[in-house]
Amino acid sequence: MKLQFQKDWFAKSAEIEGVSEVGAGLPPNCHALEPLAREAISVLDTRIAFGQFVELWRRNTGWNPERLACEAGIETEEVLEIEHDPHYEPEPDAIFKLARVFDVPAQKLLELAGLVTNRTPQLREEAIRFAARSESISALTEPEKEAFEAFVATLNTEKA
Amino acid sequence: MTESKVYLLESKSGDLVEASLFDDIQDEHLELWSSTWAPLMRSFRESLDTFTPEDSHWNWKDKVSEWRNFLGYQFYSIVCSGELQGLMLTTDLYSARIQEQFGKPIVYVHLLSTAPWNRPELEPVPRYKGVGRILILCATQASIEIGYKGRVGLHSLPKAEVFYEKKCGFTRLGKDSSYYNLTYFELTQTQAESFRRNY
Repeated sequence: MKLQFQKDWFAKSAEIEGVSEVGAGLPPNCHALEPLAREAISVLDTRIAFGQFVELWRRNTGWNPERLACEAGIETEEVLEIEHDPHYEPEPDAIFKLARVFDVPAQKLLELAGLVTNRTPQLREEAIRFAARSESISALTEPEKEAFEAFVATLNTEKA
Repeated sequence: MTESKVYLLESKSGDLVEASLFDDIQDEHLELWSSTWAPLMRSFRESLDTFTPEDSHWNWKDKVSEWRNFLGYQFYSIVCSGELQGLMLTTDLYSARIQEQFGKPIVYVHLLSTAPWNRPELEPVPRYKGVGRILILCATQASIEIGYKGRVGLHSLPKAEVFYEKKCGFTRLGKDSSYYNLTYFELTQTQAESFRRNY
């Protein structure tokens, strides 16, 4: 990586920065817990991908959240929380019900939802790649459809 | 390892001085950290009764040996006048949280730190200004180069929140209960463009 900025940029930038504390990262006295911090981030990331997967599956099928909730036998609110709030920890029972509707392995969905330890090494990377190619718009675009289908194939790898 | 020419503002003289930004932390940089940065930080930690520098416990030698071989993780260092001035560790494996870019991949700043002599809490007149914004510029550059369009995210240490919000233009997303209650900040593509134009 090469930075190519004029000297003037740095002069203005230093002036903007002024006298500032700038640290980012782990707070004091928690270095011993660093692996836990990594795990917390990792769960959030896969959960974001999980939410997007649920939303794209639903839209691909032409269902609204109420219809998906009804078909799965869970609350509509839970569908909305799963789709939009990565901090929301869904009930395992809801994941099993959604897996039945989606026809994908429940174990993989549990991993994505952060409810069991990640046993599939590539799943997190695949989930992030999938999330990166997805947009929150009303109809699935061709790239979204491709990303969605590729991710469904990944989820079903062990099933085949 | 690539070296880029950057400039820091020396407080004492008011002059811009040339510095080097490296996209790595090599053994020579760790030696500098061990010989000057770390002992000074340790002495501050032992002598200050009322507070401790928030990152004084970070052992960059351990962090480099732990993370160097992980794919998707990248170290950066700034050297000026033969001294290490700033260090950063980023990763490109995390996802955006702001609604407009929700789920998109970002460059996440895992750790960012400046040398103790550049800290206003430790030195009444910090030796150099500009280290923090150069490292954030670097994170946006990395984000652009891997196709993430300048998107960057990080958890700020409590005393640096004003810097990220007011002086870099990040959006504050609130305290993150999943990450030690630190405040999470994120830079969108548009905000990164503004930052890179020094607005």
